[in-house]
Amino acid sequence: MDPEQLDEFVMGYLKKKGFNGAAKQLQDALHHNNNNNNGTGSSSSFNSTDYHNDPELTKLIRSFSQSENDPTRYRNGYSNLRSWAYNSLDLYKHELLRVMYPVFIHCYMDLVGKGHTQEARAFFNSFRKDHEMIHLRDLQKLEGVLVPSHLEEMEFARSLRQSKVNIKICQYSYDLLLQYLHRTESTLMLGIINEHINFQVYSGQPNSSSDDIDAVTIVGSFQETADHVNQKEIQWGLLEDSLEDRLEKTGSLLTDSEKGQGESKDGDVDDSNKKRSTEIGKQGSSLKKLKKDKAGNATAKVARQETSTVSPAPRVKSELALPVMSTDVEESILEDLRNRVQLSSVAMPSVSFYTFVNTHNGLNCASISHDGSLVAGGFSDSSIKVWDMAKIGQAGSGALQGESDTNDQVAGPNSRRNYTLLLGHSGPVYSATFSPPGDFVLSSSADTTIRLWSTQLNANLVCYKGHNYPVWDVQFSPFGHYFASCSHDRTARIWSMDRVQPLRIMAGHLSDVDCVQWHPNCNYIATGSSDKTVRLWDVQTGECVRIFIGHRSMVLSLAMSPDGRYMASGDEDGTIMMWDLSTARCITPLMGHNSCVWSLSYSGEGSLLASGSADCTVKLWDVTSSTKLTKAEEKNGNSNRLRSLRTFPTKSTPVHALRFSRRNLLFAAGAISKPTS
Amino acid sequence: MSIVPKETIEVIAQSIGITNLSPEAALMLAPDVEYRVREIMQEAIKCMRHSKRTTLTASDVDGALNLRNLEPIYGFASGGPIRFRKAIGHRDLFYTDDREVDFKDVIEAPLPKAPLDTDIVCHWLAIEGVQPAIPENAPLEVIRAPAENQIYQQKDGPLIDIRLPVKHVLSKELQLYFQKIAELTMSKSNPSLFKEALVSLASDSGLHPLVPYFTNFVADEVSRGLNDFLLLSNLMHVVRSLLQNPHIHIEPYLHQLMPSVVTCLVSRKLGNRFADNHWELRDFTANLVALICKRFGNTYITLQSRLTKTLVNALLDPKKALTQHYGAIQGLAALGHNVVRLLVLPNLEPYLSLLEPELDAEKQKNQMKSYEAWRVYGALLRAAGLCIHDRLKIFPYLPSPSPSFLNKGKGKIISTEPNKRKLSVDSSSAMQVDKPMGDDNPPQNSVQPSSSGQASDGNAPESRNAKEKEGSKGRAITMKAILDQVWKNDLDSGRLLVKLHQLYGDRILPFIPSTEMSLFL
Repeated sequence: MDPEQLDEFVMGYLKKKGFNGAAKQLQDALHHNNNNNNGTGSSSSFNSTDYHNDPELTKLIRSFSQSENDPTRYRNGYSNLRSWAYNSLDLYKHELLRVMYPVFIHCYMDLVGKGHTQEARAFFNSFRKDHEMIHLRDLQKLEGVLVPSHLEEMEFARSLRQSKVNIKICQYSYDLLLQYLHRTESTLMLGIINEHINFQVYSGQPNSSSDDIDAVTIVGSFQETADHVNQKEIQWGLLEDSLEDRLEKTGSLLTDSEKGQGESKDGDVDDSNKKRSTEIGKQGSSLKKLKKDKAGNATAKVARQETSTVSPAPRVKSELALPVMSTDVEESILEDLRNRVQLSSVAMPSVSFYTFVNTHNGLNCASISHDGSLVAGGFSDSSIKVWDMAKIGQAGSGALQGESDTNDQVAGPNSRRNYTLLLGHSGPVYSATFSPPGDFVLSSSADTTIRLWSTQLNANLVCYKGHNYPVWDVQFSPFGHYFASCSHDRTARIWSMDRVQPLRIMAGHLSDVDCVQWHPNCNYIATGSSDKTVRLWDVQTGECVRIFIGHRSMVLSLAMSPDGRYMASGDEDGTIMMWDLSTARCITPLMGHNSCVWSLSYSGEGSLLASGSADCTVKLWDVTSSTKLTKAEEKNGNSNRLRSLRTFPTKSTPVHALRFSRRNLLFAAGAISKPTS
Repeated sequence: MSIVPKETIEVIAQSIGITNLSPEAALMLAPDVEYRVREIMQEAIKCMRHSKRTTLTASDVDGALNLRNLEPIYGFASGGPIRFRKAIGHRDLFYTDDREVDFKDVIEAPLPKAPLDTDIVCHWLAIEGVQPAIPENAPLEVIRAPAENQIYQQKDGPLIDIRLPVKHVLSKELQLYFQKIAELTMSKSNPSLFKEALVSLASDSGLHPLVPYFTNFVADEVSRGLNDFLLLSNLMHVVRSLLQNPHIHIEPYLHQLMPSVVTCLVSRKLGNRFADNHWELRDFTANLVALICKRFGNTYITLQSRLTKTLVNALLDPKKALTQHYGAIQGLAALGHNVVRLLVLPNLEPYLSLLEPELDAEKQKNQMKSYEAWRVYGALLRAAGLCIHDRLKIFPYLPSPSPSFLNKGKGKIISTEPNKRKLSVDSSSAMQVDKPMGDDNPPQNSVQPSSSGQASDGNAPESRNAKEKEGSKGRAITMKAILDQVWKNDLDSGRLLVKLHQLYGDRILPFIPSTEMSLFL
């Protein structure tokens, strides 16, 4: 190349990039150089000859100079890289293909950013198929970005632009990639890769393609923050002096005394049970049930002793001032716990299904009280309807009996309706939750408020205003009094019943916070969001203490295991993930549902997980085997099948809500989607 | 570029009163419009998810607009999803069907029924991990070998496909149910209870695990109890109920069921007593066979062809008994007019010539035999008649009195005969030709008609007699006119009709639709 031409290119490049100072200097230097050449020619003052003589550098400069804005370079560069990666050695292929997705989206965003809308679209559409399988939701979002300003506006795109993707890659694959990029002089691709990918090179053989999920999720800017946050210490242990503890103590006392007294003690328990059941008029189930309960009780004791000897679960102090429980409520809970049926992969629960009929497509949410006797439905016409199933059950078949004796409320004034109508909201009701004893209902609505209702007075007590956008979810804490809400305004808030202002505001999610759940020890809440992450927050400090990354779509439901160690989250695609809270790692993804998982619930002792989905099924998952399986075992067998224990299909009724009662009876609710003819 | 074309932007601009929008501006706006639409849809989908739905509705979009502080779009507040229609001539253009309604009509319309109030029903989805087979639960899946077995076998023995016996657990309740139904079917003592059982069989969900047992039961009992007419009849009713049950997936067991059903249709002897009305059973079974063909013909393409083959073979074998012929004819007739036209009519002439000696009272001394022969003759006449009736219906310019033959009431045909006989064709039995018994009681009619089927039988020889006796000349002329007319209408069916008329004489006439008849008269 003619050196003068080259100088011109360099000049043009510098000017275009706005390096005016450098351009001026270069011009001066050239001028000077020329003068020198013309003149004495003795003093070679500048290093400008360097790049004139180096052919490699010349080429590089040339490649920069030639039509910097040419959009076809992206397409050519990417398609070359793609075909190279697809033709690479099988052993390293999956690692190299992993690089393609970030390159693809950044090529696209570069094209959009430079204003080549049409080319960007064409580029996107021609290579979209490659990534659709894993990244469909992201692609759908990005597809709409057509103008540079959209890149600025869209949170997702912005976070992608600002952050680097971490990709684990083995040494050899890395070398291959670099060799290729240098050999073909695809500086553009090299630039993109350098700018947006952070390679974590390790020595040795490449990993199998399936084992880490992080590799395929692009998480925007918070991978590093997540890593940082997840270092924090959390105490997932249960509260000391909980009711379960107390029961354990009394249980052990019982076993001690049993040794001496034999059957008589059991007889006493039986008697007291009978007395109680006659008191509240529940002879229907009579002896049979009691016997079963007794059997369950006996096994329960054994199991409990085992667990307590094997792994003494850590106990923590509550950081919140917890409400004092009245003694009769406490008694009834203890009674329920004593009568709990022990569940495992061989002892399945019974499922009682509440089907809403004639909802005319208006049921937005359903909630079941802790004893299963009250069912609330939130409707799109702003109303909340509460059914007392214990009463209906007594009048009708008697198939279902409330499990506690707290439902002594009077019948509603309107005898024709068998539900209580609660009116007050001015927008669709998105969530409802019962306080543990069932005396209060909280509801959240699109009118940005949360309302507290009394089921005894059938009236609205408080209206909590604070959120700025629709409140998607509200949940009572396991001990009542406190509750957590989350909203479209990207925050979750902690409230107490006696204050109209929130106590804490948890901000940090990058999109709507869609669901919230309390940790059993009340010191943490978990939130699931449309940004595809789940976060754990410290209630006392309001800080984010864990970020769980792995879902590929919006997180719709959360559940905490009763021992406080694990969490399950369900998403829009039907994937359920089990997380270990302390390490923030996904133990196992549970695949099986093929539509939104609306609801999750752990059984009382934590051995089973129930999930309810829009695909009209309730599934039961074996938690104990899921958590115990090692990675090696996972690879060998089709462990997914092992974990899904049962599937109960309903008759075209999507399952909106699930709850294990304290006695381990599973309640489910949903609105039948076909009109009954 | 953007999926929103520039033209759309221009149209929208015009519609809101901006006339001087430059094409460049439209071009610039288009991508942003697309982005905004996508943004709204993203929010709308969130609203949909939080309403626990999987179908997007107009209210979700309104909710999304609300989130962005925009005015909702009014006028789409229907509860369900909006129905779009395709614009004719445009591939990708849709519109909502929004008809103009007269205000007066709306006001004057009676109030619609109040919608039912929301309620909750509860049932057991599972009891200790097992789903009870109650109507509230979804019907159980077809029982098949669990997938693990096969996978397991593929591992160690790739070529040998050994199926492990499937363990089939039947609940106590189902076992009792099966026993009770089987008892009722066998006992024949309590017809009202049996009727109830049939209703239960036809409607209950959760019976699916019993289907293999029922098919087995039917097959066993049919092969064992060919002499027991009532049992056979009951069994066929059971089969019919099973077929009617919408919750039962009977297809895999069809191959077991078909032989017994066909047996009940074309068996030489059904029942052992003279009084047993096996004709009726054959008719019933013929309908059953047609029902099966209609329902499963699409999935088993060979089903109908195999069936017709069996039946035609039975019909054309002169060694077979007349009862068997009767069953075959009824079966073919039930399968539809096309089957009759293609398979029965070509064989009609030789068959009738075979039947002729049996029909003649003088030659055939055995009264029973002659009765059977008339029975077969009647069935043939009916099949051919219905077929020709169907053919004649096709003529476009003949005003048809009723849209379908099945809905046809009693079409009265007034013939020109001097004694003004009234012939009425009933749709249900189609061959039941009621008429006032004239002065001439034919000698063959010694068997007293007791049922509707027998009435028709009595009629057939009589009308033949009548023809022989009366056969008036004027009438023949009319007939000729009709035939000529028909001939002109449709060569094919005209020829058919002529042929049929040659074979049957006047007896085919009741099948010719009344208006056509009266038109020619």
